[in-house]
Amino acid sequence: MVRSALGRPGSTLDRAPKKLARAIPACSIAFASCLGLLPVVAEVGWMPDTGFLLLLAWRLLRGDVIPAWWAAPLGLWNDLVLGLPIGMSVASWSAAMILLDLLDRRTMWRDYWLEWLLAAALLSLAELARRQVDAAMGASTPLVAILPPLAIAILSFPLAAWTASALDRWRLGR
Amino acid sequence: MAAGPGARAGWSRRAQYGLFFSFLAAIAGLLIGLALLALSLVAPSSYANVRGVALDVTAPVSRSLRAVSDTVDGLFSGAGNYWDAARQNASLRAQNQALRRQSIQARAIFGENRQLKAALALREKSVVAVASGRIVGSSLESERRYAVISVGSGDGVASGMPVRSADGLIGRVIDVGRTAARILLVSDRANIVPARMLRGGQPVIATGRGDGTIDLRPLEVGRNPFRRGDIVVTSGTGGLYPPGVPVARVLRLDDDGAIAAPMADPSDASFALVERPYEQSALPEPAPTEPAG
Repeated sequence: MVRSALGRPGSTLDRAPKKLARAIPACSIAFASCLGLLPVVAEVGWMPDTGFLLLLAWRLLRGDVIPAWWAAPLGLWNDLVLGLPIGMSVASWSAAMILLDLLDRRTMWRDYWLEWLLAAALLSLAELARRQVDAAMGASTPLVAILPPLAIAILSFPLAAWTASALDRWRLGR
Repeated sequence: MAAGPGARAGWSRRAQYGLFFSFLAAIAGLLIGLALLALSLVAPSSYANVRGVALDVTAPVSRSLRAVSDTVDGLFSGAGNYWDAARQNASLRAQNQALRRQSIQARAIFGENRQLKAALALREKSVVAVASGRIVGSSLESERRYAVISVGSGDGVASGMPVRSADGLIGRVIDVGRTAARILLVSDRANIVPARMLRGGQPVIATGRGDGTIDLRPLEVGRNPFRRGDIVVTSGTGGLYPPGVPVARVLRLDDDGAIAAPMADPSDASFALVERPYEQSALPEPAPTEPAG
């Protein structure tokens, strides 16, 4: 009985975490940053910052999977790939991780809606910070112009959360 | 669900220290990020090398993806064209004849123009194209409007050079790698183009709006000079852009200016020409060569 269960694909026995299970979250975030390289020449920047979305999704899914300081190198990669002012994502991603660490001490409970709310707040803060930096670089944007991309980012957080949880299950071989 | 074990290390001293140092490292990351950001605000040229290398690494990805999407596009439009061949054939033939008549007219005008110019002893400064490349990508997740073209310093492209397509002005080069360059599109909010109206020649200022349109303001205060459909061309003031390149077409008027659409659609332009600045002195000083710290 046990022997036959071992050989069958999809059986619950003989499953283990992947070899690089610890690196997979960071790699997936670095890959998500690269989604901005899609060869689409758009008139309007409507796409959310996919790397940041996935970082938030991983961090909210599991507090221990991404050490807070990993945000800095991942943010540098995001800046370089997307051509943002260098230091922009380094600072905003690190700040988001620190904020979430502090919030973890405060929150008594967590559920899906609270996670979405936290992600929405952090996405808004990051977008506002970026707007300030853009203004300092000579491209001041009216507040209404950042609302549609922000709404898209907030609404696509569930997709990022689903991606992170699916990757997590695959990574741990469950 | 109760909060996860993330921030709580229990009684283990080692785990507590680990958490504490990770927290310190995160704060250090934040401070380094702020320092980098301040440097890129104060002295943007200090990162020129790093950004160039990053462009060289990432542009091939966009370029190969672009080739794939072009092929798929070509399959679909090719099948569509085949389906529609007879009707297209007839309309193309009619177009061809109309164009032939126009080209004869144009040739006559050309000749006349040459004679008149010779009479006026006007010398035209010829603008030399440095390189021509494909537009392979754009800033999808930013309010800023950038695009990436597939030529770089290896082809003679330098920061600050104007970029145009056959239809009109696209923008100017801001970051250069060996094989790719990033351009600031005319629709970006930080891109200000000195221009004039084709009808009447009144000087105007064209500023991007970040959403694919351009804001036009007349330099002289007074009656709104724009009409729907007006075309605005570069004036050559400032010496960066050559004069007479179409910039935008007026879509609608607002109180003292107009909103216009760029003449060159970067998503449509298959080739972008990088040109030398009209006046050589318009090029910014070359970036200092020390690597970013």
